[in-house]
Amino acid sequence: MGRKLVKQPLFTIVYLSFVLMIVAPIVYTIGTAFFSEKIGVELTQAFQGRTIFLLLKSSLIAAIIAFFSTIIGTFLGFLLYKTKIPFQGFFKVSLLIPLLISPYIFAVAWKDIFLFFFRDSTILPSYLTCILVMIIVFSPLAMLITGSAFMHINKQFEESALMVTSFRKMILKVILPLIKPSLISSFVLIFIFSISEFSVPALFGVKVFTTEIFTQFSAFYNHSMAILQSLLLILICVFLLYAERKHLADLPFLSIGSKGSSSKIYVLKKGEFFSLSFLFLWLSVSMIFPVTILFIQSFKNGVGAFIQAFDLMMPTFIDSIALSFVAALLIVFVGFVAAFSASNKPDLRMGKSFNYLLLFVFAVPSTILGISLIKFYNQPGLEMIYTTYAIILIAFVGKFSFIAAKIIGDALKGYPKSLDEAARIAGATFSIRIRKILIPMILPVLFLAFMVAFIFSLGDLGTSIMLYPPGTELMPIKVFTIMANAPQDLINSMTLIVFLTTLILIIGLYMIAKLMIRKYNCAYD
Amino acid sequence: MIELKNIYHSYGSEAVLTDLSLQLEAQKIHCLLGSSGSGKTTILRLIAGLEVPQKGMVSNGGITLTGDAEILIPADRRKIGFVFQDLALWPHLSVYKNIAFGLEEQKADRIKEKVFEILHHFDLEEFAGKYPHQLSGGQQQLVAIARSLVLKPDVLLMDEPLANLDVKLKRKMLAHIKKLKQDFNLTMIYVTHDHREAFSIADRVIVLNDGRIEAMGSLDEIKKSENEFVKYFLEY
Repeated sequence: MGRKLVKQPLFTIVYLSFVLMIVAPIVYTIGTAFFSEKIGVELTQAFQGRTIFLLLKSSLIAAIIAFFSTIIGTFLGFLLYKTKIPFQGFFKVSLLIPLLISPYIFAVAWKDIFLFFFRDSTILPSYLTCILVMIIVFSPLAMLITGSAFMHINKQFEESALMVTSFRKMILKVILPLIKPSLISSFVLIFIFSISEFSVPALFGVKVFTTEIFTQFSAFYNHSMAILQSLLLILICVFLLYAERKHLADLPFLSIGSKGSSSKIYVLKKGEFFSLSFLFLWLSVSMIFPVTILFIQSFKNGVGAFIQAFDLMMPTFIDSIALSFVAALLIVFVGFVAAFSASNKPDLRMGKSFNYLLLFVFAVPSTILGISLIKFYNQPGLEMIYTTYAIILIAFVGKFSFIAAKIIGDALKGYPKSLDEAARIAGATFSIRIRKILIPMILPVLFLAFMVAFIFSLGDLGTSIMLYPPGTELMPIKVFTIMANAPQDLINSMTLIVFLTTLILIIGLYMIAKLMIRKYNCAYD
Repeated sequence: MIELKNIYHSYGSEAVLTDLSLQLEAQKIHCLLGSSGSGKTTILRLIAGLEVPQKGMVSNGGITLTGDAEILIPADRRKIGFVFQDLALWPHLSVYKNIAFGLEEQKADRIKEKVFEILHHFDLEEFAGKYPHQLSGGQQQLVAIARSLVLKPDVLLMDEPLANLDVKLKRKMLAHIKKLKQDFNLTMIYVTHDHREAFSIADRVIVLNDGRIEAMGSLDEIKKSENEFVKYFLEY
């Protein structure tokens, strides 16, 4: 199959389009920064002590977030994927929601919580609140990754350990070492998400690398400085992702259903009350509390603010949903092509390099991706892209295809080669094998990738804030741009509306996904 | 007659077959017998056209299928059926659709009739609408065989198809497989690591070890072989 890949013009077209439309602008922008007339001065300024200090500070914050998110997520993952606990399904779904909602919504909500209880939104140091909000947002990612790893532990490993040691020691000496790669993977991904996150630090006024780059770009119009400063950040992210990919590439990233799961499930006896209490406490902190406060604050002066917010948000719904829908379709398509080309012939240069390009673009901070696309597409003849949503679509495809490729790549690894070979012997051509055998078989995974891409695109602020063309309106941008001057209850109402819209869409997509997964699990039992 | 001549094949730097030559008579059941890593599955895949040897030639009835490290006749035009070790039944397709798939791809006529004909042969008609996971292990086995035979191949390749069945079912299936040779006028190549299985169906046995042929011949010839490896392998 792999040899035929090079003969497939579609794969070549997708690969070259990605290079030309997304990678080339980034390389071009970084290149032009180095050829700036003031390069000497700018390099000295960009890498001066202050910048290095800012980078170290941002890295430390991201590392703290990644560390605590991984610990909390692992504990949640263990309770929800390795034990029999009441309301398991409910907790699995509801604890995942913070990951799927834009981080700035939680930032607004937590500002409100402090305002509501202490009449001062800055009662806690802004760093601390920023870290807390990001831990809430990213713990579910760790829960998903480690939960997937828990599900794949062969129960015989655990049972043979339980023959000779206690439950606690078995966890420490067998389970945790077995899921160590997932713990590292979770840490690396959360670190990268955190260090690239723009909206939460911006809302809390925490000066980090991404906000500094944004300031250099939007306040001082100093593009080359912004780019030079971000080089170190890009290097760190690329290095971490490369290491993660090199060593942990065979790990299950996000598994769906329980196919192939032979993991042992534990019944909690004494620990059940404590575990349930913890789950409920975490749900309160991450969901119930912030959303309740958003509700209260939105309606504290009646329904007027909510109605006004609805009127303001109305024009953004269709654009946001339509844009995210198209983006998600493109992301899944690109992710599939990349994952497929890499899974069929590991030595095929095109497949490998495509995946490294996805990794590179994913590691580039949103602000730099934005600057690069603006510089590249703000040229005569390219107005069709620069002045329309097309530029945001391109950015989303660049930013999120890596995640889609990782999810789909995992599914392809579990796809027995013999299924394709049987079709080949039966006379099916390459395209028929893809269309009639492969795609129907991995359809639930493709849908999962679509769902993730759709939600991420819908909530993106970091890239779209840089790129949105005049006269266009998207949900996160509308909220963010109005925030500085609008009354608190209007901001809360707008945030609440974005939250509810996203939630409704998530529930809708989840219901479809559940049906597909049920069918999928039946077909594979 | 199927012929493999001076075959060299490796996976990366690991050579699996080195200068292997083999002739397999038509309309006989040949068993490739050997332990894991002996190269028996690779031979099957080379005959099927799923692998290309780095050196050597594969032919069937005097027609070169693979030569000079190049596939001359692709897998789907070799008139060869393949029953995979994991059966490779497409889980999203019903039994009927699994069997009809190849006929549809080859734009055959009277597809429905042909599918039900083969289902009838294996007493599987009532399962036509079922999905693979709704069948027992033995029924899945029969569907995999039926799917391979519906295209009327001259050669049937079977890669340890009974590995996951219990002894009783295995015995029943072996009797079924043995009958296929007459019913479908087939040359069969059956891969196994179990000499009892091989001796119960084979006309000829080829004992492989580390990519080399240690012994080859009728059941009696193999049983009487003085080759040390063969003696050890057959637990004399």
